[in-house]
Amino acid sequence: MSEAARKPAPVGRLRVAVHAVDLPRRSALSRVVAEAGHVVVGAQDAADVVLADRDRPAGETRPVVILGGSDHDLPGVLSRDAGASQIDAAIRAVAAGLVVRLPEAMDTGFGAMRETDARALLTPRELEVLAALAEGMTNKAIARRLNISLHTVKFHVESLFRKLGARTRTEAVAKASERRRYETITL
Amino acid sequence: MTDQADLLAQFSSALAARAEAAKNAIVAIRLAHGRHITGTVWRSDIVVTSEQSLPRNDDFELVAAGGSVVTARIAGRDPSTNIAILRLAEQMASPSIAAGEAHTGAIALAIGTDGTGGESARLGLVNLVGPEWHSSRGGLIDRRIVLDISLAQREEGGPVFDAVGACLGMSTFGPRGRVIAIPTATIERIVPLLLKDGRIARGWLGVALQAVAVPDALRETADQSSGLMVMSVVEDGPAARAGILAGDIILSVDGISAHRFRKIAGYFGSDSIGRKADLRLIRSGKVITVQTTIAERPAHE
Repeated sequence: MSEAARKPAPVGRLRVAVHAVDLPRRSALSRVVAEAGHVVVGAQDAADVVLADRDRPAGETRPVVILGGSDHDLPGVLSRDAGASQIDAAIRAVAAGLVVRLPEAMDTGFGAMRETDARALLTPRELEVLAALAEGMTNKAIARRLNISLHTVKFHVESLFRKLGARTRTEAVAKASERRRYETITL
Repeated sequence: MTDQADLLAQFSSALAARAEAAKNAIVAIRLAHGRHITGTVWRSDIVVTSEQSLPRNDDFELVAAGGSVVTARIAGRDPSTNIAILRLAEQMASPSIAAGEAHTGAIALAIGTDGTGGESARLGLVNLVGPEWHSSRGGLIDRRIVLDISLAQREEGGPVFDAVGACLGMSTFGPRGRVIAIPTATIERIVPLLLKDGRIARGWLGVALQAVAVPDALRETADQSSGLMVMSVVEDGPAARAGILAGDIILSVDGISAHRFRKIAGYFGSDSIGRKADLRLIRSGKVITVQTTIAERPAHE
């Protein structure tokens, strides 16, 4: 271990060991870490955090941020396609002793197959309008995207509000995403 | 006044005695980072726990009452009923477990582990009892038992007892952190199957579905008002091989209408594996039929 690696990193700058079997993936992740202002150290060097791609390094005792894979009990769990800002935030949080999870992970729990009242089911067109609402599009932009009149968009948005019991566009998006989370079934 | 104090003292010591008696019925299952969940010693060589919280390892270390460490190996898991079983390397003394019947408003005592061979107890009521239900993963749970109890994560998987000391089931977390019990009857039904095969085989198409309303213009052709829209298709799964696409709306499977999807879930039992199924679906405004072969649901799906 080099003397430099033994010294604690300056505040805000962390020593990160990157673990990825795939070489291009390892260099891509190392670049993300370096661009976020951290120091990429070797696997055996002292590190504040280990950033691992899918597989947990065997016998690792340092805090790990993992990208994808099936280890859900590590301090940091992100999806495999996590962006640079998420990776940076997770590294900092885990180094500070916090636990990082995706919102979906908080919604685990063994639940029932849920059925929506038939009158509240959305139509495929309403789902398209909803996806556009989630992107923050205006009615005018939605009309252009779906190639329908502004009047029809307004009609769909009102119907969405009624079926989802929402008063605002944000609320509609939130309620629909909650419904999707609980009502999606896998077959 | 004295009488009342005595009643409370009696109630309290009775509960403490029950908790004490339950300590041999539980083990702590060691997870990574000093965390644990609870296992219920179901038989002298079998521990039952919550499938959703058990990491996908083969071997586990368990801490028994008093702190002795025993090893155990996974013997089966069924995500559809949230039951996993571990086989103990050496037999343990296990208290006999009598099945209890849950009643709304009755007292429930949930026992969990403290992680070091000790136990922890939670007291509350059976919040509500309902009929059998299907989990979102397609399993049949014999009774709906919701508990008015808060539970630490390390306590999940422990037994829940009623006032006479009979076991209502295994504690686990439902959606939004609610505490529910997997009924003893369900565990008694699933454990022998898991001991035999290590899993409960289920039919599988490899799709995620969400119920949608059939657009007005297509209701007549479709002859029904709702269907299941394909939200995603698992790569190389049976549906993908049959050409099913995201956005397709499934109307029926072998004539079973999709708006009765509990019935459809029941149709995908172990006997469905290998069977050819006709999917009637809406694609690009037309009703078509696609044939697919039901496969076995992989362990991780």
